[in-house]
Amino acid sequence: MSTQHTYERKDVLLDISGVTFARGGVPILRDVNAQIRDVVRPGAPQGQVVGLLGPSGVGKTTLFKILAGLTPPDSGTVKIGAQGVPAAPGLVGVVAQNYILFDHRSVLGNLVLAAKQAGMSGDAAKAAAMKYLERFGLQEHAEKFPIQLSGGQRQRVAIAQQLLCSEHYLVMDEPFSGLDVIQQENVQTFLQEVSAADEESTLIIVTHDVSAAVAVCDTIWLMGRERTPTGEIIPGARIVETIDLIERDLCWHADIRKRPGYHQLVDEIKERFHTL
Amino acid sequence: MPALGPALRPNQWVSQRTYLTMAAIWAAAVFLLWFVMGGIFPNPPRVLEALGTLTAQQGLIAELLTSLTLFAESLAITAVLSMGLAYLSVVPAIRPVINALTRARFLSLVGLTFLFTLAFHGGHAFKVSLLVFGMSAFFLTSMVDIVASVPTEKLDHARTLRMSDWRVVWEVVILGQMGAAFDALRQNAAMGWMMLTMVEGISRSEGGIGAMLMDQNKHFNLAAIVAVQGVFLIAGFFQDAFLAWLKGVLVPHAALTTARR
Repeated sequence: MSTQHTYERKDVLLDISGVTFARGGVPILRDVNAQIRDVVRPGAPQGQVVGLLGPSGVGKTTLFKILAGLTPPDSGTVKIGAQGVPAAPGLVGVVAQNYILFDHRSVLGNLVLAAKQAGMSGDAAKAAAMKYLERFGLQEHAEKFPIQLSGGQRQRVAIAQQLLCSEHYLVMDEPFSGLDVIQQENVQTFLQEVSAADEESTLIIVTHDVSAAVAVCDTIWLMGRERTPTGEIIPGARIVETIDLIERDLCWHADIRKRPGYHQLVDEIKERFHTL
Repeated sequence: MPALGPALRPNQWVSQRTYLTMAAIWAAAVFLLWFVMGGIFPNPPRVLEALGTLTAQQGLIAELLTSLTLFAESLAITAVLSMGLAYLSVVPAIRPVINALTRARFLSLVGLTFLFTLAFHGGHAFKVSLLVFGMSAFFLTSMVDIVASVPTEKLDHARTLRMSDWRVVWEVVILGQMGAAFDALRQNAAMGWMMLTMVEGISRSEGGIGAMLMDQNKHFNLAAIVAVQGVFLIAGFFQDAFLAWLKGVLVPHAALTTARR
């Protein structure tokens, strides 16, 4: 298929190679391999948005933790950035489904802490935190505690906090969960803005929501368990298919949901879920 | 008169005015019952008379100050000791020791008096040690549960911000759970008042309001007993209010999560 956009996929920014993981002797992940390459568009910075889709209980959360460096794989590697640094906590930001923040600190306090953890001094950390508050439209909430924020505001603070510390790489668990249609569109627009803010910005979205993922991502990873020729499930999930949405001309369009190809792909992926 | 409808249904929010109205109704009912109740239970005038006698002739105020000093010292040591030990339970190698210490709550204070007499010289040190032991056994148990209840997601969140293991403990376990720690301290401080009478009864050096209560008990002076209990109640009320105020100042976000008032 062709696309009306001019782009190139260049350096490898995230490399998952031969990752396996078992819990209690039961294989969860089996030889997971995938790469995210820097999407380069002439004239403007363009980040990457990858959707990790798969049925419940297939091992998405385990892979999520391995990508974040929180859980070491039994074998295989996850390397981050053009330099191929092994995944470790702090290199990849993590936004959990319930938008965890430090409830005992104000919104500004949460962001300043993250900036200091990234190595900034007191004044620089505060300046960086204020910049993110302004960028994410949260200035008026700076002195509030996280408990006083709405779900959407909390999500933005959680993203800002992780970006202040990890800079470019962000893994998000179910960012569209529990949102109505309008809120979902707002989050999609926001994520696209975050992605477009820097060439290296790389978002990995773990979700069940096929429609939302296709609307916001440039690449979809389908995760599932393969079957033997006789139809038996092989234990341990893998990334069984990578769908390039730019190639299908289903990316970077404001009216993405109105395109026939969008609905066709959503139906195709939903159908694919039955065999994952 | 504010509308009381919501106050009669479960899990309803009521205004401060409604809450105070309900409290006033209950207080009036209790006082009325107290006044009209006959029999051996002393009525308010007799209790007030006994309170006056205890103050004027038996040094109630001085005894109360002695007890408050003893209690405040014991509570401060208990808080530091129990919280310190509970926070150490995050280290797997130390956890078995801490868990074993929590079982000390099944021991009797009376059974430890001889040992503590030998170990601590002087009545004051002896009483402090007994109170600290008694309160710590319960407070430590509560604190260990609070530390263990921190969800893994919160620890992971701190780790994703490049925090070292001990910084995670400080930020998530200590600061993050400070509200719950204050609540546990309030509960265990209240239990400490019950132990105070026993401890001051075991060692009567320095006196104290607990010793005074036991004396009145021995002489079946019911009006004086109720008067001393009233003093306990008022002292406990102020202690509780002080700890609640301190929690509001030090952990202001905790109050925002309270659904009922």
